[in-house]
Amino acid sequence: MYEEPYRWVEAVGNRRTYLDEQFRQGSPVVALGYDGGILLTTVSKGTSKLYEIYDRIALGGMGHPADLEKLRFSLLEMAHTEGFNRSPSDVTGSRLVKYGIAPVIKQAFEEVYKAPFIVRIVLAELGQKPEKDTLLTINYDGTFEELKEYAVLAATKQAQARMQEYLKAQKPSPCPLEQGLQLALRTWAIGSLAHQQDSAEASADGGHETSRETIASIPDQTALLAHLREVLADKTLECAVLERQQVGSSKYRALKPAELARLLPGDFQTVVNR
Amino acid sequence: MQGDFFQLLKEQGYQFGQPAAAGSGVDLPSATTILAFKYRDGVLVAGDRRATAGNMVMYDRTDKVLEIDRHSVMAIAGVPATAYEMVRILEHSFKYYRRTQLQELSFEGKLRAVSKLLKENVAAALAGTGAVVPVFAGYDFEQGAAKIFFYDILGAEFEGVEYAVSGSGSPTIRGILHYVNTWGERPLAVMTEEEATVQALRLLTSAAEFDSATGGVNREASLYPVIKFITQEGLRTVPDSTLKQLFETKVSRHV
Repeated sequence: MYEEPYRWVEAVGNRRTYLDEQFRQGSPVVALGYDGGILLTTVSKGTSKLYEIYDRIALGGMGHPADLEKLRFSLLEMAHTEGFNRSPSDVTGSRLVKYGIAPVIKQAFEEVYKAPFIVRIVLAELGQKPEKDTLLTINYDGTFEELKEYAVLAATKQAQARMQEYLKAQKPSPCPLEQGLQLALRTWAIGSLAHQQDSAEASADGGHETSRETIASIPDQTALLAHLREVLADKTLECAVLERQQVGSSKYRALKPAELARLLPGDFQTVVNR
Repeated sequence: MQGDFFQLLKEQGYQFGQPAAAGSGVDLPSATTILAFKYRDGVLVAGDRRATAGNMVMYDRTDKVLEIDRHSVMAIAGVPATAYEMVRILEHSFKYYRRTQLQELSFEGKLRAVSKLLKENVAAALAGTGAVVPVFAGYDFEQGAAKIFFYDILGAEFEGVEYAVSGSGSPTIRGILHYVNTWGERPLAVMTEEEATVQALRLLTSAAEFDSATGGVNREASLYPVIKFITQEGLRTVPDSTLKQLFETKVSRHV
């Protein structure tokens, strides 16, 4: 039945609806540059969502763990064989995405008889110089975007837009790690609250657009912290950095609870060490 | 096997340790003195910097003590081309394992990886084109101690409980190590970092004295051996300035 072009377009459209639905329960991911490198932050339950890919490349993802795992492995394979056969400096995030996984994701998305990848990915790459740092985001349909400074993954377009607006308004420059981390946490909370709001609205009136004014106001710090505290009761805060000053070739490091506690001020402390 | 980078390479057609018939009269670069011993805080690994081919000195700035990751080094004696390739494979293998399996490869696993590569290399080693006799040292977090292992060209692995040596200059210093460790004022295992460094410099200078294929210290060119420490905190290289100062005060004898 999909042989007719119109049917195929319809089927792809259905896929979008189906996939958008899959991310509803997902946790947003925030990636942002700070003065010593790049910070990735998310909140996860059970399976980790932040990974080391290569010496200077890290991955953050949303979606189905098995799909994410499949793509993570192909990234790891590509990066390591390239790094071994050529040199570690030839392994770049942009090549991994453009010629590596983006075409694969797009193909899976458009082959309507097969299962698509339920993933949204951000690939962070620490450049040799800070101005060369890049953040690449890839959507489930294979479209990608190259960004600087910050990138976010969220379940809905609205949530993503709110997080980006917040970062645009709040991100200091230069940004020390402590400030970056607090900002990332608040941005994550904004995204997470927006998810809740979007799904509430979707279920309230069958997905129709409702009044936007409720969405326009950004919750204050207390509301954001309260939300974080609530979420972190049964989930884990996950933070990782690509650190320019790190000794040796591997620049990736996951931030341990003790370090997180040290980096966060009093009111955040209560969030992390319940 | 999960997370095996070497297997992945082989699946992609990569070949390691293929024997090439050695042409008559071809002098392959080789020869060396490398040593490792346990001192108070961990393991010291040192190597001279000369690469020779027959009677020819190929290069006097070779680095034979190669870092594989933050807690392990491989010191190499033998054909450098093969040795460097082995180090590259190991480096990528350990990283690949850590990144795919989300845990560090165990120290025993690392030792096995070295053995496996040497075994793959047997044909080339016997043909005379790729013999490598390494010393592998690293910090074993399960046992909470830094350890030394040495290998033969076939890949058999032996633990150097107190010390290990390899290369053409090694027979000279093996005897000295035994003597110092048994009848010296202080055994190697209680030496401080500075004492250990002085011993390493003296040992390599002795090796250079009796083995033309080992490069000693060349003060005119500011060429000092490579000396590294492995402790729980990781790897550290002794800076040339320290080596220079220790060599001048504790090693050289003005006649």
